[in-house]
Amino acid sequence: MSDLAIFDVNPAARIKSESPLSMSRATVSTLRLPQGAGVVIRERAFLGHLVLRGRVSDSAFVAGVEETLGLSLPLKAGGLSIGGKDEASIQWVSPDEWLIIVASGREFETETRLRACLAGHFAVMNVSGGQTVLELAGPAVREVLMKCTPYDVHPRNFPVGKGVSAVFAKSNAIIRRVADERWELVVRRSFADYLYRWVLDASEEFGVYVAE
Amino acid sequence: MSQRNRLDHGGRVDRSRPLRFTFNGVAYQGYAGDTLASALLANGIDVVNRSFKYSRPRGIVAAGAEEPNAIFQLGASEAAQVPNVRATQQALYDGLVATSTNGWPNVERDLMGVVGELGGRFMPPGFYYKTFMAPAAMWPKYEKVIRKAAGLGRSPKERDPDIYDHVNRHCDVLVVGAGPAGLAAALAAGRSGARVILCDEQEEMGGSLLDSREQIDGRPAPEWGAAVLAELAAMPEVLTLSRTTANGCHDHNFVTLHERRTEHLADTAPTFGGRRQVRARLHRVRAARVVLATGTHERPLVYAHNDVPGNMVAGAISTYIRRYAVAPGRRLVLSTTNDHAYRAALDWHGAGREVVAIVDARDNPNGDLVSEARALGIRVITGAAVIETRGKKRVTAALVAPIDPVGFRVRGPVEEISCDTVASSGGYSPVVHLAAHTGARPEWRDDILGFVPGKVRGMIPAGGVNGRMALAEALADGVEAGTRALSEAGFKPGGVMLPQVPRVREGRAVALYQVPHVKPAMRAPKQFVDQQNDVTAAGIELATREGFESIEHVKRYTGMGFGTDQGKLGNINAMAIAARCLKQTIPDTGTTVFRPNYTPITFGAIAGRHCREFFDPRRYTALHAWHVEHGAKFEEVGQWMRPWYYPRGNETMDEAVQRECRAVREGVGILDASTLGKIEIQGKDAREFLGRLYTNPWAKLTVGKCRYGLMCKDDGMVMDDGVTACLGENHFHMTTTTGGAAAVLDWLELWHQTEWPELEVYFNSVTDHWAAMAINGPNARKLLAELTDIDLANERFGFMDWCAGTVAGVPARVFRISFTGELSYEINVQANHAMHVWEALFEKGGKYGLTPYGTETMHVLRAEKGFIIVGQDTDGSVTPEDLGMQWCVGYKKPFSWIGRRALSRPDTKRGDRKQLVGLKPRDPRLVLQEGAQIVLERQIRIPMPMVGHVTSSYFSPTLGHGFALALVKGGSQRIGQTVYLPMPDGKVHEAEVVSPVFYDSKGDRQNV
Repeated sequence: MSDLAIFDVNPAARIKSESPLSMSRATVSTLRLPQGAGVVIRERAFLGHLVLRGRVSDSAFVAGVEETLGLSLPLKAGGLSIGGKDEASIQWVSPDEWLIIVASGREFETETRLRACLAGHFAVMNVSGGQTVLELAGPAVREVLMKCTPYDVHPRNFPVGKGVSAVFAKSNAIIRRVADERWELVVRRSFADYLYRWVLDASEEFGVYVAE
Repeated sequence: MSQRNRLDHGGRVDRSRPLRFTFNGVAYQGYAGDTLASALLANGIDVVNRSFKYSRPRGIVAAGAEEPNAIFQLGASEAAQVPNVRATQQALYDGLVATSTNGWPNVERDLMGVVGELGGRFMPPGFYYKTFMAPAAMWPKYEKVIRKAAGLGRSPKERDPDIYDHVNRHCDVLVVGAGPAGLAAALAAGRSGARVILCDEQEEMGGSLLDSREQIDGRPAPEWGAAVLAELAAMPEVLTLSRTTANGCHDHNFVTLHERRTEHLADTAPTFGGRRQVRARLHRVRAARVVLATGTHERPLVYAHNDVPGNMVAGAISTYIRRYAVAPGRRLVLSTTNDHAYRAALDWHGAGREVVAIVDARDNPNGDLVSEARALGIRVITGAAVIETRGKKRVTAALVAPIDPVGFRVRGPVEEISCDTVASSGGYSPVVHLAAHTGARPEWRDDILGFVPGKVRGMIPAGGVNGRMALAEALADGVEAGTRALSEAGFKPGGVMLPQVPRVREGRAVALYQVPHVKPAMRAPKQFVDQQNDVTAAGIELATREGFESIEHVKRYTGMGFGTDQGKLGNINAMAIAARCLKQTIPDTGTTVFRPNYTPITFGAIAGRHCREFFDPRRYTALHAWHVEHGAKFEEVGQWMRPWYYPRGNETMDEAVQRECRAVREGVGILDASTLGKIEIQGKDAREFLGRLYTNPWAKLTVGKCRYGLMCKDDGMVMDDGVTACLGENHFHMTTTTGGAAAVLDWLELWHQTEWPELEVYFNSVTDHWAAMAINGPNARKLLAELTDIDLANERFGFMDWCAGTVAGVPARVFRISFTGELSYEINVQANHAMHVWEALFEKGGKYGLTPYGTETMHVLRAEKGFIIVGQDTDGSVTPEDLGMQWCVGYKKPFSWIGRRALSRPDTKRGDRKQLVGLKPRDPRLVLQEGAQIVLERQIRIPMPMVGHVTSSYFSPTLGHGFALALVKGGSQRIGQTVYLPMPDGKVHEAEVVSPVFYDSKGDRQNV
């Protein structure tokens, strides 16, 4: 009898897998070429998403996470650590909650390593099937975001390396600025189609291209 | 083309770009830079509308947002119809089509006008209330006729082809109004590098500078304005928005700006580069500081027949001449209480037209402008006012008399002066609306004879709105406000030199609102206060005599200040008149409440992109594409799109549902159950936490087992239910209803964070992570066995167990739980892999008759088993005991749980509470209506005691008859009794009260 039932939910063999936006991508048409597009949209599908919960006051917890992922654990609202091994990232979500994103298929291994390293009161939950990352790049992205979220996306308030969870259209999203003109949205699977179409519609006046 | 009132030179119109337009079906021409109003005046159109109540001919009165009469229907096609456009704020474009909103058959020959003329005397305020009071039931019929006779514009009957959107903006300083004060403030703020938004409702920024006669820093005022705008445009953090009205000011400096992006180009938005432009945009601005530089509205004087076309406010004359090169008449009489209005006469004179007389209410006017007029040889009549004008469709003469403004009487003989235009000015009312939107009451200032904005945190009024109307003062006030806003927003002010303006000496104005007539107000010819609503001074006086003392009541009784202009021109006059009649001061009378929006805004801008496919988010499961491909009809559950049923060929819904029901009972069916809420719970106190949340005990649920749980609110009423599985000692998988998922997670967090933070437990939604497929029916095991490595033998994988393994090669958790009463497996896999598993099931499922079924079939099957749906069979007033679910309540649990105390109240223990029962209609073919009321007697009497209602009702192909679930008072004691259901058509249905479990009451089928 174990305390937790942890298992790898990815199949051993290759099968047909469908990302949250596979249905939507098949049914929209946009610019044929990226030239002249104010916004280039790309789904970063099949990444590993883990929700991490724990106490900041537990220094062993903080150290354990940082050692496992090779990234600093952001402790302030809007904090986002990117880089390290496996192009991983840690996103501050709430005072005791973070979103870890790792390369495709690495989520179970990351979870296992975290569990090996951490003790006491914490939780790791795999949500990889439940969300996806939408990358928006181009000179008009900030203007598009202004149509979508009441959060202030001006560089003065939203420098590169920041991420926030905010209202987005009539749903919500984690909005991350990963480079000057490159942003990411982390969206829930069931809302992905709505948000994707919304972003395409809001981007239409600037010219929008969907990249693979 | 004749533009007989167009001046040969001057103005800001482009004479090289003539534009054609039609008004009431007649073609005219104007120039680029015209408003529709200036183009109509240029063409000498006197009558532009008929009035609302009396159908009197009306002309253009003003040049801005305050215009009451020139309210038109625009649009060349049905889809492009826009009602109630103010011609004074509508830029002329080529091909513009406008019609008057009132007047039948047309404004020139209006039939209602005869009625108005005859009936005017008999239509006092409250006329409609008084006349059409009784019988009340007839009001809707009266209303139809009244509205048609006295309506404003109409909405389009076709779909709007345009798109609209919202933009969220944040800034340090928002400057509302780009007149002298606003420009000075924006410049002061912008030079520091702060984020500044400057908005102005007009086509061109500059406000009063655009028709100013004065010099700033040694050059004409408009040139100074243009230079400032050029400098602002070059600042990267400054955004200037023209054609943008700040329509509403809300708490915390949240201001909505309505930007009209293409309405100056065409009636529907043009396309640029193949992309349709956004017609209107709502900017949702959150500003650290707001500089309110909205200026003033000039008050006309209230004299008899002041609504005859040719009567205008004085400032509008200057605007039309200096900005649009239109002199809207030949011979002018100006009636004024102040120096500033003299500009109208000077500009009129400068345009080469005749100023017949300036009539000044003051005895000894002596400012610089007065001297200038006298020096030009203009006749200035002092201590007098225009008390009445003559003419029907155009002014022909003004009656001028010496008056005593304080004693409110005419004090000498009346002189008739021939003229075609009467300009009047009774002073200037600060445009306080935005400040007042936040609830701040405007404050009266005797020195400026006007209300200034009440104090609003974070808002700084500047210029005219702040009572500083002279150009030099407005500029200085603007610089000061911009600087203050900046430092309050945390910036270091940059240097702004105060612009230099030669001082103009102005004499003090006199307080005059309603002009006395030789006859008392009640007997004098109509003196209009609010032209849009046909409210007269006599009407206001009558209202006060009838006992209406609050200005809000006077407003509603007379109708003053309603309509599209919201009393911008007339309200302060109306308050002054009410004050005079009530023998009190204006500040004691106060203003009516100003509410958003400042000017009407199109519904498109309010909706933005949240319309049509984006009206509400639609949530999809990972299997949605399959459902679409297989012809599913969908039902919205919360925001989820769930398959409702899957018709084959020409099947009706009933036929499809019956087929699906039989498939589940006889073979095997499959349901996409992914929408059910799923919450993963980890932590050593998870079990304890569950025990406190659910009504039933969780202490002994072992790993590998599932249990049904009921959740109550603290009032003891059922709020949600679902099955929770014990994955590990410290690990649980909770399911909730589809619609309740978010609320349940919030509920868990609420109790954990506020009441039991010491419990070591974490929750997270995994609804979207897992796709869930429920296979149900006698063949479910055989089907699953073909695809899984899990041992499905009943002894090892029994009812209410769960197992992990693979299904179709995909790691899965399989729960043996059942919402249909059949042998059931709910397969949960990571959502990305769900389609593979679903399709594999269908590959193997053919020989077992695998049938996809939707929510409707699920409802029938669960109801046959008496399983409730929270929110359908419960409504927030139903306890577990009311549902007959005592078995699911653990009164003996050591720690109290949510709802326990409420469930021990006498009221929740009553035996005659509404309880869940089954109903079997006497007529087996009958399906009772959900929501139908239940009574105990066949014979109807009044009052008829009602004892409950039907909550769920279906036809069961398995049972061969209709059946229902119902909540009935004392229902558990009524099993076997007959109840009646009277229907609206007079029929009374009869049904037997039975157990809510209609099928397999022992549960054998799910346990096989």
